[in-house]
Amino acid sequence: MRKARLGVFKFTSCDGCQLSLLNLEEELLAVVDLFDVAYFREATDKPLRGTFDLALVEGSVSTERQKEEILNIRDRARYLIAMGACATSGGLQALRNWASLSAYKARVYPSPENVHALSTSTPVSDHVYVDYELWGCPVTRNALSEVLVSFILEKKPALRGYSVCMECKRHGIPCLLVSQGAPCLGPVTRAGCEALCPALGKPCYGCFGPKDDANVESLLSRFRLMGLRSEECRALLDKMNTYAYRKVQGENRS
Amino acid sequence: MKTDRKTIRVSSLSRVEGEGGFFIELRDDGTGDVKVSIHEAPRFFEAFLLGRSHADVPDFTARICGICPVAYQMSSVHAFEKIFGVPVERCIRDLRRLLYCAEWIESHALHIYLLNGPDFYRLESAWASKDYLPLLTKGLGFKKLGNDLLTALGGRSVHPVSVRVGGLTKAPTKKVLTPFLPRLERAYEESLAQILWAASLPFEDHAWETLWVSLVHDEEYPMNEGLMALSSGRTVPMDGFLEAVSEYQVAHSTALHAGLRESQRPEPYLVGPISRLNLNHERLPREILETLQSASVRLPIRNTRMAIVARSVELAYALYEASRIIKDYEAPQRPYTPYEPVRGEAVWVTEAPRGSLLHRYRVDEAGRVENCTIVPPTSQNLAHMEKDLRLFVGRHADRSLDWIRREAEKIIRGYDPCISCAVHVIRPA
Repeated sequence: MRKARLGVFKFTSCDGCQLSLLNLEEELLAVVDLFDVAYFREATDKPLRGTFDLALVEGSVSTERQKEEILNIRDRARYLIAMGACATSGGLQALRNWASLSAYKARVYPSPENVHALSTSTPVSDHVYVDYELWGCPVTRNALSEVLVSFILEKKPALRGYSVCMECKRHGIPCLLVSQGAPCLGPVTRAGCEALCPALGKPCYGCFGPKDDANVESLLSRFRLMGLRSEECRALLDKMNTYAYRKVQGENRS
Repeated sequence: MKTDRKTIRVSSLSRVEGEGGFFIELRDDGTGDVKVSIHEAPRFFEAFLLGRSHADVPDFTARICGICPVAYQMSSVHAFEKIFGVPVERCIRDLRRLLYCAEWIESHALHIYLLNGPDFYRLESAWASKDYLPLLTKGLGFKKLGNDLLTALGGRSVHPVSVRVGGLTKAPTKKVLTPFLPRLERAYEESLAQILWAASLPFEDHAWETLWVSLVHDEEYPMNEGLMALSSGRTVPMDGFLEAVSEYQVAHSTALHAGLRESQRPEPYLVGPISRLNLNHERLPREILETLQSASVRLPIRNTRMAIVARSVELAYALYEASRIIKDYEAPQRPYTPYEPVRGEAVWVTEAPRGSLLHRYRVDEAGRVENCTIVPPTSQNLAHMEKDLRLFVGRHADRSLDWIRREAEKIIRGYDPCISCAVHVIRPA
């Protein structure tokens, strides 16, 4: 049987999700055995050629060139999976969506005219059809193996759409919001991390983005009752998944 | 005339972090023009950090680099602790050093065995040949150990979550760390043998006088503390380093270049494993130094092609040091020191796997960021990389373009450039 051709592509990002793929370690040997890793710049010299059965895309679309590139990759790919917060939600760099690009440029670079960037950083799904979204900053190794195995078995990946709260309950972690009054994003955030931050005594900061049917507005009004100012509430949402949380918040309000 | 010139253009380098390429123009007089270019899209960290609470900064700056998030967390928390005058307990200091060891192990193993190693066997990737499998397996073993240790300390290996200003959100119990000891000790033994392997690889003979820069520390191999040392013998405190460096923007790159103000023109300098080893080898355990000696590696290393040897030495050291810290570890009473933010400004440098990483912050009385500067190792090395390539091209102008291109790729890869990091630079105010 012909091995499925796997492509790994990078847009605007930190490389952490691609690294999570290399971090599969023992399983990585199985991946390179089961798949023909036909394009993966971080790990092999293979040039971009032909079509792909599965394209994993890391990073957000934030330059003019990338708008073209993502169309090209979609065109070559049978299935396209957006991998990580940048690809599913624009990433931390989507904070510029709510600011002036020229002010940002001038602040960071002495010759801003040489810096080419769009005024927005947007998820892959804003540009092309995405077959599946893998959330997280970074994605977990488990989720990655689930997606790769599902592809081989021709089934839908069994990933959760419920909140981090469920994971806290399952691990027997006392609720930080209820017991300590900590502004925890767990109730509106997609599960997947196994309640990593609450387990280490820190409120959830939303790496996995909004869960299905999240009620962001309601959680924020609770935070305001606890004494948080509106801009503090906003800052809680404005992290790696700012674009997705603000979108949901807008929907909650309307 | 155009016909007298030959050009090599690589638009997308492989087996490096991030997106970059290079351009070489060979003139008929044997000289060449070299540009390493960065295509990585700018992300404007220094702009969107403004106005944010200092408490968000470690988690934000970690996102600059998925390979060395701990380095970003470390430079930022130390800078804020300096501003606020937060004393950090000895065992928290040790835990942070352990976290850094874990990142060195993971990052160095990745580069030695998956990214750079295949170059010495003419392979396109670490899994391209069955013959390379034993090395790949070894590398993955080291890498997994580093990642497991990161996970034990910070919850996960990429963007760990436990680092905070004042300490850690939670300190592990001794019981969690002790089981790592046999694994670390086995890996350390293996890593000593791997120093011999690295030293036996074929390197082009290319010794030259260049400028090394690294933190130095009186008692230990530097990670989180120390003074900035230059190979000229000069040391400067961390907050004086920006004055010793000038940064400049070049048209072919979204990253700023950096040079030392040692002479009239900014002089390219090298940060990373070679510089660290050259300036700090006296702090290494005797066993590692003896291994180097038996491998006939003479210190200081003047051949920049031999970075894989320096990296292998540091991998061994990080394994050794991790064991030592775990053996001495006693869990602290409380994982962090409470503090009140005050207005102020500070610079801090720590040693990321790829070299010195400088952060400077100014905060208001509520601890919100008013100004920040981030100088990552790769942007400091860019000018040095170009100089290295120019010297190389000068020596080999008669060789085929294809050969020069291949060798140039290897030279750049030897620097372990992290191009995702490199764009995140701001001019000194």
